[in-house]
Amino acid sequence: MIRLAALMVLLLATILPAQAERLISNVSNTTVQITSSFTGETLTFYGTIAPDAGAGPEQVQGPYDVVVVVVGPAQDRVARQMTHQFGIWLNTHQVEFRRFPSYFHVLSSRRLLEIADINLLNQSFILPESHAMMFPNPAGFMKTLVFGRELIRLMSEQDLFGVQEQGVQFMSDTFYSAQLTLPANAPPGSYIAQTYVFRNGEIIARRSEGFSVRKIDFERFLAQTATQSPLLYGIACVALALFTGWLGGVLFRR
Amino acid sequence: MQIYLPIAELSVNLFFLVGIGGAVGFLSGLFGVGGGFLLTPLLIFSGVPTSVAVASVTGQVVAASTSGALSHYRRGGIDLHLAMYLVLSSVLGAFGGVAAFSMLRASGQLDLVIALGFLVLLGFIGVLMLQESVRAIIRQRKGGVVRRQANQHSWIHGLPWRVRFKKSRLYISVLPVLLIGLFIGFVGSLLGIGGGFIMVPALVYLLRVPGNVVIGTSLAQVVAMMAATTIMHAVQSQSVDILLAFCLMVGGTAGAQFGAAAGQHLRGEQLRGLLALLILAVAIRFGLSLVMTPGDVYSMAVASAVR
Repeated sequence: MIRLAALMVLLLATILPAQAERLISNVSNTTVQITSSFTGETLTFYGTIAPDAGAGPEQVQGPYDVVVVVVGPAQDRVARQMTHQFGIWLNTHQVEFRRFPSYFHVLSSRRLLEIADINLLNQSFILPESHAMMFPNPAGFMKTLVFGRELIRLMSEQDLFGVQEQGVQFMSDTFYSAQLTLPANAPPGSYIAQTYVFRNGEIIARRSEGFSVRKIDFERFLAQTATQSPLLYGIACVALALFTGWLGGVLFRR
Repeated sequence: MQIYLPIAELSVNLFFLVGIGGAVGFLSGLFGVGGGFLLTPLLIFSGVPTSVAVASVTGQVVAASTSGALSHYRRGGIDLHLAMYLVLSSVLGAFGGVAAFSMLRASGQLDLVIALGFLVLLGFIGVLMLQESVRAIIRQRKGGVVRRQANQHSWIHGLPWRVRFKKSRLYISVLPVLLIGLFIGFVGSLLGIGGGFIMVPALVYLLRVPGNVVIGTSLAQVVAMMAATTIMHAVQSQSVDILLAFCLMVGGTAGAQFGAAAGQHLRGEQLRGLLALLILAVAIRFGLSLVMTPGDVYSMAVASAVR
């Protein structure tokens, strides 16, 4: 029995590499509030690499690399391709990506491919492309790859996807901070910021923080009414339109 | 000054919205058209999602047309009897249009059908109107008397179920009236337009409705039909952005007043000629978008939000 327990401990020790470091991290906002004047907001991710329980400060030896991955709520998205048919351009091919992130930004302390092997980056979903290839797609591998890249490009143009390879700054050997500006078109919902600490191409610590982007006050009330009582909302829109039209007529009558 | 639109989920310049609302409202008051066929493409171009643009513009068209319709009503420029027939049939057509809209959006062919629809419809009507108005203007310059053509009979006047429309001084079958309404309801809700630019020539050329009640009747019909379409869009796609619509309305109602006033100084033929040019310009714009190599052959859309 004691032997078995010893064996288990030994096994666990070989599976989990001895970690001398742990990550203490935080995010400046836990909620981003969308008000009528919302034009985006800057978030700061910061933290420090500290010795783990039982380890001394001498065991915290760099150099470290930090990667912060910010993922927004998932949506089903389609990418479409136009081709020239019968003299006009029309959408002929499309690939649907299920549960695709509506927002995805990666901040890193230097070039991602210098920090770690591409396979490890893909397995950890640090590269944008890995999200397009996350689920087996009925469209086939090559088509998914091509359309996935185009989808990521289109979303990057709207600032919804991005990789900032100088996005994480080290203030000291172990203290880092990273700034991310959420654009005004950032989709509301729950976001996860996953922070990885790399050393010699290996992940040695990770932590995740959540924050939410949500509408408040009047914007929240409007969005809720529109989805929960759409008929009432529609009638209210028409009433507002009729009133505005009538008022305009009265004010400007000459 | 930026304003966040809760349904479109993006932030847009407030003055830009009010400004394009005002400019389009001016044209709406001038020509008696809803202005949707200009406003919807403008909004899509400025980054508003297509479904939100189409649905919210229907709300704006209600407001812009209301002030126009009221001022025409005060001048006695609405044939309510005729408008009622048009409204009933167009609301029926709008049901079909809203359904086709969501089907096409799901299959990714909405943009194509909208572009083709605009091209064919606007091109056809634009050419027709331009031809007619130029001919009328030339005839007038030569000093000829422009006769009202209501007494000329065509095959339309031989159809059954005739009804007397007192204000329009017409005694015609309701069949073409209902067909026009049905068609405009379908096309209008599908393309996100009020359909005034189809309604006005249809009333003038097909039914021979006299000029003094054409625009008022068309506006009254647009108000009722677009009000119904707004509610349908709100219920079915939940993409009516009340804040976006309101910003456009404020500009639109103000612009419509000035447009209606400016319209008094222009003759009917001149108005129709200008409208024809405007319609043709939009048609050519859509035609080019179909034929020319797009800047980006790829596009994306949200299939559904996973909540």
